[in-house]
Amino acid sequence: MVQQIKKFSLLFTPLCLLLLASCGNNDGKTANPEEIQEDTNKVVSSGVLNIGGELFSIPSPLQTAMLIQKTGSAYDKSILNTKENMNQYATDFSKALNLGIYGADLGYVSMYNKTQDAISYLAGVKKLSDDLGLSGAFDTQTMERFNKNISNKDSMMMLVGLAYRSGDAFLKNNKRSDISGLILAGGWIESLYFALQVNKAKENEDVKRRVADQKQAITSIIKLLSQNEAKPEYTDIIKELKELGKVYDSIQYKYVYEMPETDVAAKITTINSHTDVSISKEQLDKIIEKVESIRKKIVNPVKA
Amino acid sequence: MKKIFATCFLSVLFLLANPFKGSAQCDTIASLCAKHIITSFISDGQQYRSLLLNPEETAEFKTTFFGETVYRIAACSGLTDGNLIFSIYDQERNLLFTNKDYKNSAYWDFKVKSTVEVTIEAKLDPSNNGSGCAVLLIGFKQSKK
Repeated sequence: MVQQIKKFSLLFTPLCLLLLASCGNNDGKTANPEEIQEDTNKVVSSGVLNIGGELFSIPSPLQTAMLIQKTGSAYDKSILNTKENMNQYATDFSKALNLGIYGADLGYVSMYNKTQDAISYLAGVKKLSDDLGLSGAFDTQTMERFNKNISNKDSMMMLVGLAYRSGDAFLKNNKRSDISGLILAGGWIESLYFALQVNKAKENEDVKRRVADQKQAITSIIKLLSQNEAKPEYTDIIKELKELGKVYDSIQYKYVYEMPETDVAAKITTINSHTDVSISKEQLDKIIEKVESIRKKIVNPVKA
Repeated sequence: MKKIFATCFLSVLFLLANPFKGSAQCDTIASLCAKHIITSFISDGQQYRSLLLNPEETAEFKTTFFGETVYRIAACSGLTDGNLIFSIYDQERNLLFTNKDYKNSAYWDFKVKSTVEVTIEAKLDPSNNGSGCAVLLIGFKQSKK
């Protein structure tokens, strides 16, 4: 029995170290035992150990759709990906990016209560999610809820958010965080594209500010997609996103801390700090050029 | 070190023996946690989950809180509320909020006047002596002026 325990320990001790080390060392290199020990210490001391790797947060495209509608900007179908494109996406890479794009489009048309368009974009979202094996996120029950609430923008926004969260959880559970990351990236690019097009048509300070406020998001998107940079299909998009990131690096931000205020009874804290941003026309033009280029390659992958 | 190693050893053993139990546990916690993101809030479309082996470990991520928005953050671990401590720091590491000051409240709202970049951290409450899946969810709505 003692021998068995010793054998068991000999088998599992290195495995334990390897698993811990792998959490902090995902660059694909083989580590020697000293490095494993060092990495183990790094993981423990930094105290971060996440299921599926590092955590990222990408702003919801629905937030930008809401802002655009709030500014009084007129509904513009031409800024959306066309419904006809939905059958041309052949790879999981392309389908996932465009699932993000169509999700943002669905949010946009829902904000303007465009029922017929919402039905079409919902069909696009359903098709791509089925193709990617995400039928759970848009199952019969969910689709029924969508159809019942198709003309109610508040319910639609809530349902889109829930369905995408369900898909995100499913993908992370099934170790398909790469697909989850692409969906988030697609949605983010599309919402930034909306904002830029709306601002191009008629300049709006709130929309321009929302464009400038994407510095953290672009940093997270680059990190998120770079986890798969060894895959050839990621090369171009990562390169373009990094170029976009450089434009954001050149924008001037000045953060000012102010004490937050908390209302304990209402369970709400007001964050009073603010960031002043100065974005030039040249910087904005560069962002437009880069985002249009990235989006074009996503929505028209064959022609690109 | 021995304690950390033993925890790691047992956790790896547990995960190897129960390959799907970890995600099933997370799913259950996420379902319970989702009840705190009430229908007036729109989900940000993501689920933030992390396996925390002991109270010294921290899960963290950076995000942007856009101006004129109210956010709700729900933070859960285990089958009851109050096991997870979450804290929000600004980009200069000023503490903006921690639910530790409010009995580890499972959710809290944040009214954001102007856009700020923040770091959200979560850790297990040491007094509960547990380990397991930590789930954070974010919802948002437009702020009434």
